[in-house]
Amino acid sequence: MNIPNSSTAPNANEYAGDEVSAIVLDPGYSTTRAGFAGEDVPKSVCPSFYGHIDSDSSPQYFFGENAIHNPVPNLEIKNPWGSDGIVEDWDTATKIWEYAITSRLTGSKPGNPGKNGLNDANGDDMDIDIEGLENMEKPLEESPLLMTEPGWNSQKAREKCIEIAMEEWGTPAFYLQKTGVLAAFASGKASGIIIDVGASITSVTPVLDGMVLKKGVQKSPLAGNFVSNQIRMIFKQSQPEIPLTPHYKVASKTQVDAGAPSQAIYKSFEIPLMESFHRHEEERVLTEFKESVVEVWPGPGRFSNGTNEEIAKSQPGRPFEMPDGWNQVFGVDRYRAAEALFDAGAALQDAENPRPKDEHTIPRLVQAAIQQVDTDQRPLLLQNIVVTGGSTLLYKFNDRLNYEINAIYPSTRNKLIAPGSVVERKYAAWIGGSILASLGTFHQLWISRKEYEEHGVNIVEKRCK
Amino acid sequence: MASGRDVRDMLGLPAAGDGQKMAVQKRPKPAAAVRKIQGVAREVVALYGERPPPVAVYEEKKTYRAKRQSTGPAKKWIQQPFMNQARNDGLVLKHWRRKPTATQSGLTNGEDTAMEDVEAAEPPLETNYDFAKFNVGIDIPVFTDEEYDVHLRSDDWSREETDYLLDMVKEHYYRWAVIWDRYDYNPSTKLEPFSRDALHGDPNQALATLPFAPSRTRSVEDLKARFYDISAKLMKLRIPEVQMDASQYARYEILTKFDPLLERNRKTLAAALMNRSMDEVKEEEFLLAELQRINMAANRLDAEREELRSRLEAPIPNQQIAAGLASFQSSAALAQLFQQLFQQDRSKKRASGTAGGPGRLSLSGADIIGTPTAAQHAQMNAAANRRQSLAQQPPPTPIRQLSPQAEYRFNVSTHDRLTSGVTFGADKLLKMRQAKSNVQTQKIGTALAQLGIPDIIPIPTSRLGEVFEALVSKVGKLLDVRKVREKEEGECRILEAMKERRANEAHGHAGHNGENGDANTGDGRGGTPATSTTNHREIQDSQERDEDAEAEADADEDGDVDADADDDDVDAEGEEDEDAEGEDIDIDSQAPSQSARHTSEAMSTRVISQGHKRSASVFSQTSNKSSKRARK
Repeated sequence: MNIPNSSTAPNANEYAGDEVSAIVLDPGYSTTRAGFAGEDVPKSVCPSFYGHIDSDSSPQYFFGENAIHNPVPNLEIKNPWGSDGIVEDWDTATKIWEYAITSRLTGSKPGNPGKNGLNDANGDDMDIDIEGLENMEKPLEESPLLMTEPGWNSQKAREKCIEIAMEEWGTPAFYLQKTGVLAAFASGKASGIIIDVGASITSVTPVLDGMVLKKGVQKSPLAGNFVSNQIRMIFKQSQPEIPLTPHYKVASKTQVDAGAPSQAIYKSFEIPLMESFHRHEEERVLTEFKESVVEVWPGPGRFSNGTNEEIAKSQPGRPFEMPDGWNQVFGVDRYRAAEALFDAGAALQDAENPRPKDEHTIPRLVQAAIQQVDTDQRPLLLQNIVVTGGSTLLYKFNDRLNYEINAIYPSTRNKLIAPGSVVERKYAAWIGGSILASLGTFHQLWISRKEYEEHGVNIVEKRCK
Repeated sequence: MASGRDVRDMLGLPAAGDGQKMAVQKRPKPAAAVRKIQGVAREVVALYGERPPPVAVYEEKKTYRAKRQSTGPAKKWIQQPFMNQARNDGLVLKHWRRKPTATQSGLTNGEDTAMEDVEAAEPPLETNYDFAKFNVGIDIPVFTDEEYDVHLRSDDWSREETDYLLDMVKEHYYRWAVIWDRYDYNPSTKLEPFSRDALHGDPNQALATLPFAPSRTRSVEDLKARFYDISAKLMKLRIPEVQMDASQYARYEILTKFDPLLERNRKTLAAALMNRSMDEVKEEEFLLAELQRINMAANRLDAEREELRSRLEAPIPNQQIAAGLASFQSSAALAQLFQQLFQQDRSKKRASGTAGGPGRLSLSGADIIGTPTAAQHAQMNAAANRRQSLAQQPPPTPIRQLSPQAEYRFNVSTHDRLTSGVTFGADKLLKMRQAKSNVQTQKIGTALAQLGIPDIIPIPTSRLGEVFEALVSKVGKLLDVRKVREKEEGECRILEAMKERRANEAHGHAGHNGENGDANTGDGRGGTPATSTTNHREIQDSQERDEDAEAEADADEDGDVDADADDDDVDAEGEEDEDAEGEDIDIDSQAPSQSARHTSEAMSTRVISQGHKRSASVFSQTSNKSSKRARK
């Protein structure tokens, strides 16, 4: 027999697993993750942004990484998520999620060979296609679905989720679990306080024995997108202004000295592209900038405190090259972009971007969350501070967070649990869902189709606590 | 390995009987035959001896990965549908399982085999789900309406809210923090559809808009107090207090003793402890470190004091024997112990004689205590000469050579032979002061007093003892020399007197009488026979004068004087001659200062004392002679 090691999958009996080919869907503002339970990474990760060409006759939707970066005229890039971390446009969100599931996991079921269009001489007969779609089996007929939701999800949104899963996708069983709990599970913790810094929302969720303490859930808009906006302002306010040119505009570039204006040949578009597309493409550049340049001041103290800025100035800079060849070494500026996550006063402001609220900074969120928890459980939670979300991958983020939490709670043992690998940090909630849905003991918790039909959408409130 | 025979040999026992021997030899044979250890080298097995270890750790064979055995075609997997008994809705899910082989299913169910033949046949539903057993519930106290009305009614809690609380407890498995977090009792349940939309927003806000919203929120302690109260009352109802067993009563006590106020205060304190500022935490850390430091210092101090006390304390007499060699260094009572030990060991010690190395105090101690090794040795060499063995037994202890400076510094002294027992330095000094006779002792005492040496010397170290010994010997010599001087002086006087008398005899008889009268007075004192001649009287006279000075030395001097005087006398013996010569030399060197040359002169006290004796005898002789002479 094979000797088990770190690279072989554990035997299902070892972790009390029993896989029923459930699908785990973890939708987020930036990406939607989907995959089979029991696997260690989501097989399907696709952007939550979608392309939309609005025409009177037939509105076209574009999903997936490849489609939305195409510079197509009239292509609008949209996101179904609202600014409060709850889906607004349910119709499109359903399509995106379905795309995420079917594109990589289940595949679209083969329809009637006579009607699926493959055997037709001219396959552009719309009537037949639509009819074929209706006859097509629902995508999740075979697989139970575990979906994630933010801790502050509204009852309406939850009911909508089960409705979509049951009615549109035809799943035999459904369950809804909060991202905080799943992220804790991914780190092997049943209790803890989960700091999730995502794209649009930063949330802090206290979890006790696998249950979210609802009163303690905190959220704030100071997350990845906020950092991107700060970078935009840094670019705008610097002298001379730093040009932000997305990739799609550049045909070719030549090397220039640092700080010198770029000498690139730009593409020209006969029909101007939509502003939302441009902005989305800019965001890609900013994401790259965040990944490679932005650094969080690691402490001690805030960045603006005392001589910290002087110290930061003495640190070596980090170079960055724009898609058009413009490049610069970023020194002290790279600390400013993310400082406002911890210190609202340090945020760059302008008319569109007012000063963020003090209580939205991460330390204050943690404090507020802890305050809402029973006194006896606070030390336990502080021993298990799970850090997750793509924006926590900012350089030195954990150092600063550790410093801030120790400054607030100097007398307890505070321990940050931040998985080292990028995948685990970004997809913690999905991985937790993968673990949960593959457990043999979990299968009694599913909301079955029968129960749904008996009780209606209301059952999700009763069962998914 | 030592066999039984060796041991017996060592113990000096007679060889075991033949039957026994046979039994001993026989036994290992079948055992070895039965227990053949595999996988261990023959040499190693030989080392195991008669009794191999109960478990031999060795590799059965080299464990390479087993070759994959092809057992026919690939086994099929099927998606086995199953039903979970923990569910009551009959949800059927599918998991992958090995397709049961035809024989197995044929054994279990005949119908299935028929179905198996059909490829598309649906696999049988699995109804015994393994994980269903993990579905455990909790016990919640239940009560009837009557019970509630009679026992459980509370002003603060409505029946509906009580039920809600119990439901929450059951749902959240006694996790009070979660129960409190989720606790959202809305007394107007009837109004729920109406206020539902409002509830979806901020619950607090929604509640505030209600006309009869509860004015307060329940704390964890309130919830717990109510629940424990109910539990305790129901428990008492079901089982009367008298019939409760220990664990039940303990639980009952816990339930009844819950005090929400106390609990609330405790939590306030805990929160305050957690919310301390950095400075307070640091101060506490500092204080703790300080406390630890003080404790450590106190411990050390205590240990030092303890050590000091133990040093100052006199050992308890009873401990002497028990302590054995360990207490040899500390106390006065040890002299006694040592004497005792020596008394016990005397014969043995004598036997071993002086062959043992110098200063072998340990030998006697070891022998008396009789350590096992010593006993073994003794038994082993029982046949051999006991004395010899004892003499050989102690290994020669190497004596470390110290430089003279170091010896001086560390006060180390080496001795050819140690006297047994412990002596006091003061005693030693006292002994040195004492001579054979009281007179001499007194003389030494006065001489030392003149030198300003006190009677008791405070710290009689060994070095001081040496110096004192040297001093005392010098004093003795001084006294000797003084004696000699006086003797010589007296002799000189006699000779002068004789000379004078002869001159007087030559002159005439007149001066004779006057002298005689003098002699007579002396006669009366000395008690000499009155019948003596004038000649005799003269001599007596001189004797008397000497006697004034010393009683004992007198005799010597007289004798000596006589010997000297009768130089030409036939009676003079060789010894006397020698004596006289020595004295002559003394006289030559004689000076009031009594120079050191005297000491360098080889004149031990013994010789002197011999001289005394002899001269005393001589005196008696000479006195006789002189009396004879006088008679002549």
